[in-house]
Amino acid sequence: MSLGSSMRPCGDYRTTYASDMTIFATPVTRYITLAFIALLFLVPFVGSPYVLNLMIQIGYYGIAALGLNLVVGFTGQISLGHSAFFGFGAFASAWLSNSFGVPVFFAIPLAGVLTMLVGLLVGIPAGRIKGLYLAIATLASQFILEDFFARAGWFTGGSAGAMTEYLTIFGFSFDTDQSYYYVVLIYVVLIFTFTSNLIRSRDGRALVAVRDHYLSAEIMGINLTWYRVMSFGLSALYAGIGGALFGHYLGFVSAEGFTIILSIQFLAMIIIGGLGSIYGTILGTIFMVLLPELMEWSVNLFSGSYPDLVQSLAYIKEMAIGLAIILFLIFEPEGLAHRWQRIKAYWKLYPFSY
Amino acid sequence: MSKRWFRNICIMLVMAAFSAGTALAAGTVSVGHLTDFTGPTGGVGAHYGPGVIDALNYANANGGVNGKKIEFETVDYSYKADRAVATYKKWKSGLKPIVIQGWGTADTEALVRFIARDKVTYISASYSGHLTDPEGKSPRSKNKAPYNFFYGPSYSDGCRGLVQWAAEDWKAKGGEGKPKFTHMGDNHPYPNAPKDACGAYAEELGFEIMQPIVYSMKPADTKAQCLTLKDSGSNYAFLGNTSGSNISLIKSCDTVGVETQFLANIWGWDENGINAAQAAGDGVAWVVGGTPWKAGASDNKVMKAISDMSAKSADEYRGLHYVRGVCSTMFMVDAMKMADKAGELNGPGIKKAMESMQSYVPEGLEGVCLPSTWTSEDHRGTTLVSVYKSEFNGGDFKMNKQTTVEVPRRPEWLGW
Repeated sequence: MSLGSSMRPCGDYRTTYASDMTIFATPVTRYITLAFIALLFLVPFVGSPYVLNLMIQIGYYGIAALGLNLVVGFTGQISLGHSAFFGFGAFASAWLSNSFGVPVFFAIPLAGVLTMLVGLLVGIPAGRIKGLYLAIATLASQFILEDFFARAGWFTGGSAGAMTEYLTIFGFSFDTDQSYYYVVLIYVVLIFTFTSNLIRSRDGRALVAVRDHYLSAEIMGINLTWYRVMSFGLSALYAGIGGALFGHYLGFVSAEGFTIILSIQFLAMIIIGGLGSIYGTILGTIFMVLLPELMEWSVNLFSGSYPDLVQSLAYIKEMAIGLAIILFLIFEPEGLAHRWQRIKAYWKLYPFSY
Repeated sequence: MSKRWFRNICIMLVMAAFSAGTALAAGTVSVGHLTDFTGPTGGVGAHYGPGVIDALNYANANGGVNGKKIEFETVDYSYKADRAVATYKKWKSGLKPIVIQGWGTADTEALVRFIARDKVTYISASYSGHLTDPEGKSPRSKNKAPYNFFYGPSYSDGCRGLVQWAAEDWKAKGGEGKPKFTHMGDNHPYPNAPKDACGAYAEELGFEIMQPIVYSMKPADTKAQCLTLKDSGSNYAFLGNTSGSNISLIKSCDTVGVETQFLANIWGWDENGINAAQAAGDGVAWVVGGTPWKAGASDNKVMKAISDMSAKSADEYRGLHYVRGVCSTMFMVDAMKMADKAGELNGPGIKKAMESMQSYVPEGLEGVCLPSTWTSEDHRGTTLVSVYKSEFNGGDFKMNKQTTVEVPRRPEWLGW
């Protein structure tokens, strides 16, 4: 694997720590990234509502998936209860704005904070247990929260669910896909920038150290319990914000939407995208959001000649997700992020790849 | 190999994005259809959904809406309310339906606010009492539901009808003292919808109301719940779930020796249930919202023609839910025709047409569908409740009509 993670051009030697820790390896990548973000801001002018809807979905799921990647990919823990945090954020934001009249603008980050508190609580077992045992502990939190959603009428509206207000700032209501897209995009840019920086910091490197070899990390003076629990808190914060964005986009939050299936889909996103990769998270989310659309589209293509296919669409959709995970684990265990690097390297070194 | 694979995916994604924005041809009218084939209510959805689809195809084969073709999209949302809302949002930017054939209670109640804002008429397979108050004037109403309609007695009225029948049944059996009544169902908007309303009426009729018992809508072993029911000594128990989970409940209760008379919701009992529960299902009383297939529905020319749209054999049997799916859809098609004649083929126009129906039966379906009346103040299409009882009969099952109960149309019950 000579084409490792470093894409540093030949002769570019680092002489300071600052240059070693830069987010963008070269000025060109920086300009390309900035230009790409600028382009994203233009999408509502050209994209159809369908495209916008998909991009908004990628946005809020991507934020939540990034949170899970912090726990699983960077800290090396396991969480099977991520969708419950996502749901808690959605309900918390609806609860804050409906019951206390908190403006949605503030309710979204506040919901993130509330979810973080829950995440810290759930993360406490992570201080003591690892591996499969931790998986079961987080699974328990998933079911506890799911049941809480269905019964805590004061908080969630019970099994009937909660209505959410649209985000309104100075009388302008973000009630269309075009306008809400910007809200999600700004959150995505902020959170992904923050995370890129977090990973470069002492705390970020401590998380990675806990993952790579917890014993060595502890000997180096890293407080294992603190960082494990912190990673759970952070991941819940992201999931809560993602969930709140989801709730205010859909206009309705249902107690049934946040099952173990969604938790597994979050895991699929980061496995397919690339564990421990920030932009891999987004790639994986794009993949998982587009996969069902792609299935539906290809099934419709054949429905003329095979009408029974439409009836089985739902089954095919669910099966495709499972199949995608298996195929990725076999053929690309390092995820789309790694695949993307291989493609970049191929063109960069073309035609002399050795 | 892997590069080509990646490129192919990219090409497919781009094509998918482009194909999404296809425009509709002129002279068509859009209808959305939400259904559940794969979720917890899939057992009854598998009958109702095809009824809707066949009826729409039949309408198209017979001139559509005064010559306009009905363009409809069927989406299986697996009984997930948020998926239904997401589908609705997707439709708003693509299909742009003016009327929707919906499904469950959770999603229909969640969509009330959206469809009222967008002025889309919505005919649900949920008969929740909460959907009956178009103006929100009733003190019991949680919110107004101006664009919601459904075909048949509301869940609350259905349960009230059953309770009324049970009170007679108690007297006829010579029961002494206060009969005990238990509400059973999942903790979900659909079984919960008639819970308080029906309990209050049962109390008024002299029942003693027992603690409600929760059992899942997904079929599972429910012996624990059945033991609770047995211990409570209930004489009558209302089953709020759909037939799939009721089969397992009734079998479990038979195993532990429950003697309670079961009263099932309109979705709670059907041919499937009777066939699957065998002797254990003998004597379940339930609400039927249309003429059963063998009791006359199959003799109706229009109904037969609709069934033949997808029938695999000449004498295909259609279930109770199929008949109601057809009725609900044909009410809608007739309302669309009326709205079109009035030059208002849109959501408000269809609402107005629905609200002009007085003891109306869709064209050609007389004797099959229940005559229904909607007004701009009251969306309780009917309050007549047909109570049937299933009979094991040594394996040759029968559905015996007991009576038609007229539930009082009290103004304070609107929206409850």
